[in-house]
Amino acid sequence: MNRRNFLAAASAYTLPVMLNGFELKAMTGQSALVQSLMASGAVQDSLVSDRVLVIVYLNGGNDGLNTVIPVDQYATYQSLRSNIALPQNTLLPLDGTSTMAFHPSMTGMRDLYNSGRLTVLNSVSYPNPDQSHYRSTDIWMTAADANVNLTTGWSGRYLEDRFPGYPVGYPNTQMEDPLAIQIGYNVSTALLGSQQSMGIAINDPKSFYELVGAGGSVSPADVPGGEAGNLITFIRRQQALAVGYAGEIKNAFDAGQNLSTYPAESVHNDLSDQLKIVARLIHGGLKTKIYFVSLGGFDTHSGQILYNDPRIGPHADLLGKLSAALWSFQEDLRLQGTQDRVVGMTFSDFGRRANSNASAGTDHGVAAPQFMFGTAMKHRTLGQNANLSDLIVSYGNNKDIKMQIDFRRIYADILKDWFGAGQPKTDSLLLHNFPTLSIFSDVCETVASGAWTNPATWTVGRVPTATENIRVNAGHVVTLGQNTTVRSLKLYGKITYSPGVRLRITG
Amino acid sequence: MPFLDPYTAVLDTRAAAHLLRRATFGPTQAEITQFTGLTAAQAVQNLLNNAVTTPPPPVEMDETAANPGQPFLDKPFNGDRNFQFGQFIKYWWLGLMTQQTAPPSLLDKLTLFWQNHFVTTREVVDDYRFVDRYLRLLRANALGNFRTFVTAVTKDPAMLRYLNGNENEAGKPNENYARELQELFTCGAFDPAGNKNYTEDDVKTAARVLTGWQYTNFWTVGSTSFDTVFVPAKHDTTAKTFSAKYNSTTIAGRSGATAGDLELADLVTMLLNHPQTAKFICRKLYRWYVNPNVTPDIETNIIEPLAQFFASAGNNWAIQPVVVKLLNSQAFFDEANRGAIVKSPAELLLGSVRFFNQPVPNMTTDYVAFRKLFEFLHWRMQNLQMNTLDQPTVFGFEPYFQTGYTKNWMNTTTVALRNDFTDALIWRWYEVKPGYNLGVDVLAWATSLQPDFANVKSTTNPTGTDPISCVQVLDAFLVNLFATSLFQTQKDFLIDKIMMQEIPRTSWNFEWNAYRADPTNSYRRNVPTWRLQNLLRYLLRMAEYHVF
Repeated sequence: MNRRNFLAAASAYTLPVMLNGFELKAMTGQSALVQSLMASGAVQDSLVSDRVLVIVYLNGGNDGLNTVIPVDQYATYQSLRSNIALPQNTLLPLDGTSTMAFHPSMTGMRDLYNSGRLTVLNSVSYPNPDQSHYRSTDIWMTAADANVNLTTGWSGRYLEDRFPGYPVGYPNTQMEDPLAIQIGYNVSTALLGSQQSMGIAINDPKSFYELVGAGGSVSPADVPGGEAGNLITFIRRQQALAVGYAGEIKNAFDAGQNLSTYPAESVHNDLSDQLKIVARLIHGGLKTKIYFVSLGGFDTHSGQILYNDPRIGPHADLLGKLSAALWSFQEDLRLQGTQDRVVGMTFSDFGRRANSNASAGTDHGVAAPQFMFGTAMKHRTLGQNANLSDLIVSYGNNKDIKMQIDFRRIYADILKDWFGAGQPKTDSLLLHNFPTLSIFSDVCETVASGAWTNPATWTVGRVPTATENIRVNAGHVVTLGQNTTVRSLKLYGKITYSPGVRLRITG
Repeated sequence: MPFLDPYTAVLDTRAAAHLLRRATFGPTQAEITQFTGLTAAQAVQNLLNNAVTTPPPPVEMDETAANPGQPFLDKPFNGDRNFQFGQFIKYWWLGLMTQQTAPPSLLDKLTLFWQNHFVTTREVVDDYRFVDRYLRLLRANALGNFRTFVTAVTKDPAMLRYLNGNENEAGKPNENYARELQELFTCGAFDPAGNKNYTEDDVKTAARVLTGWQYTNFWTVGSTSFDTVFVPAKHDTTAKTFSAKYNSTTIAGRSGATAGDLELADLVTMLLNHPQTAKFICRKLYRWYVNPNVTPDIETNIIEPLAQFFASAGNNWAIQPVVVKLLNSQAFFDEANRGAIVKSPAELLLGSVRFFNQPVPNMTTDYVAFRKLFEFLHWRMQNLQMNTLDQPTVFGFEPYFQTGYTKNWMNTTTVALRNDFTDALIWRWYEVKPGYNLGVDVLAWATSLQPDFANVKSTTNPTGTDPISCVQVLDAFLVNLFATSLFQTQKDFLIDKIMMQEIPRTSWNFEWNAYRADPTNSYRRNVPTWRLQNLLRYLLRMAEYHVF
């Protein structure tokens, strides 16, 4: 919480007295008072109770190496994929780094990065990567180990834990809104609970309400036995949820507004159309915790560029859509004043092969950069550039990018720090203890003993910069071989200095 | 639990309806009557007898274009009409699913199974002639031999386009088809214990076997033919050795004009020899026809023996005997499997059209009405996440592979859209052609139930005939409507709350007789019409109508 919000919230504590006789419940959910109370409650749970996660699925496996380009290794990059390599002078430079640049279509994401509202997470994958679309996506959505099948989604497990018993008894006064909403006609595996999806699908909040109507008489609850009975019960619940939520969603949609300019409908940017709805629902006060949106077409086996010009073609169009959509959405949240309680993340089936194929496309690969967007992340880059001289070489001299960040570390920070689930709960939801990535912490911590200059020493997966805060955790020994500057240092472990080497702390 | 042993009892009405619901897109009442009293073996044979593998071709359905009602596939490729002709092929196929010969055939339901197995899509293939050839290939092989089928699909121009086989060349492999051939078309990604069925290197190796296949004349305006060709110069002639998952099989490298076919034959043999391939296909057929939920018990007692039979020397990968065995089995007719699948949009929409006897206009002579009917149904199916011939991915429609299986057809949005469709059958606002609005004329239907219609019993005519009661009306509506039976509490609710809106049931008798006495009086007609519409509208919105 920033200072201004804190003051506003603190002064709000006295307001209920002045509003003697009025129940807070009678006020609209989006009133400044209710919002500030929700944002400033004394206990941890209410502090994070209005926080929202937006999941953006890039369907098909995005070609990460043509998304975030390691310009420090340009020649190697060019030689790996000469038929689709982006010319160096077309790349978009980024503030504060000379080693990394964006695809030329990504102007909106560059602006978000430069204004501290976009984080690049490098080389995200998981151990024993799978290159089947279905299986790999399933692994991402369920957060399973690659050799384990899970039938529940990672965010579905979180919601099921937080809202037990759903959907029986929902909506209710504690949670009158859908727990999760997927914009579209399907609900993703990521939202699956143990019995059914914890989310609902809506394509268009306006037509949804008209379509569902007011409900009407409810038939007796008798069900036949067996599988048929299970299905009938399931369908009746879907019917009841549709009726139960349609009004709330419509109210939020009517109360909310989009304040930024989105790509025109004629552009057919599916993703921005979806995010536009999400922003409006958030602004309208819907308490939904998780939104799931997607953009398809990333399975670019062939012809990902056009006319031998790597700047144009299907992949450039997709990145352009992603970039424009995230920019409009984030600007919308900023203008609405909701940006501090929303974070978003992208994910995709897998990255694509580092070397291109002869069809001006790329086959299924391993690691790729992912993004987080919002104002809550404390670092603009996590992990470092993919090392193109240290690739996984397989049969046929194919080359894949190695993992730096296990995607489940992103989930762990989101559950623990963003949703406030706490460490033990986070571990149990993700079935392992994953070290933090410090996504939401401005402190770079050690995860192990090692050289200061070894990226693996640090939670952020790279060497800390001079403006970052450092914490050497208990039991860790960091060896410092050259003069180094940091903002602050908390020393619970040990630093061993080479002779004459100094650590300067700017404070 | 009965398994693959033949179901020997004579089919009662419910069993006949069950078979027809599963093997076709939904029966008419007349078909159920025809099938009642047959043995399962006779009934399944009937479903095979009328398989039309070469139906008349689709026609121009745009009345403003040249030669409406005439076939277009025998004419040179017309790029300007590419999208529309693709749509007409979709409507043509939906027409075949809906308009059945008598007795109905199981071919179209099975062709859809294979189209959702060997997926290609109109949108990606993008040449209507390719789409047509692909669909005809599926029809011709649906009941044929799986070895022949896989081989033919691999070389099919639509498939070469959809999974980039066309771009797979020696030294420049494109792995797309090689992967899906294994993961989706033959052995599947994992065995039931969760072990991988092949390695990543096997994908790359299979891609090399498949190098050199191309198609000709794609999107060539004015061209009158197109074909698959094998280009020896683009084929990888070196030997290809697979992993232990395939018993370390080596496929000898070949060169020359026959290299492609020879290596493909070896590859298909290797794929069929994989111990999971027959099981993978049989499991998918079981999920399609019987129950998406495959328990370890089902795996052992149905999938494994059926797969053994499928791959046995005697059967040698013939598909028809496997389908027959499954549809004839005790497991298929088992009560526990009735109502165990959520209707797909095809089963809901086309099934409703068939169940309520909505006529399919003649495609050749009444092409505008034909187009309008299937435009409507296609668009509605697309909204409900079943875009005919345009699956979202190569995996096919999500409810056939995703956790939860056919439950995935139902969510808050599709539930509402389904209601909107069934409501359209009640309100009858969609005009197929003058005089034919899609939907059920509930009053005419109830009138047909009333014996001795004009002879109304009353104090002045004590020898007249009693009115049909609300109970009779509901019972008549319910005949074969649902796969499961309703409880008495539900029936009472439907009559008292929905049909009679909490006024006494006897009011119906007065209202109905008033209509009988003055059947052209619009007020007298409207009262029972309104009640019947409320009732049928509610019935079609019930969860029970959406499982089969």
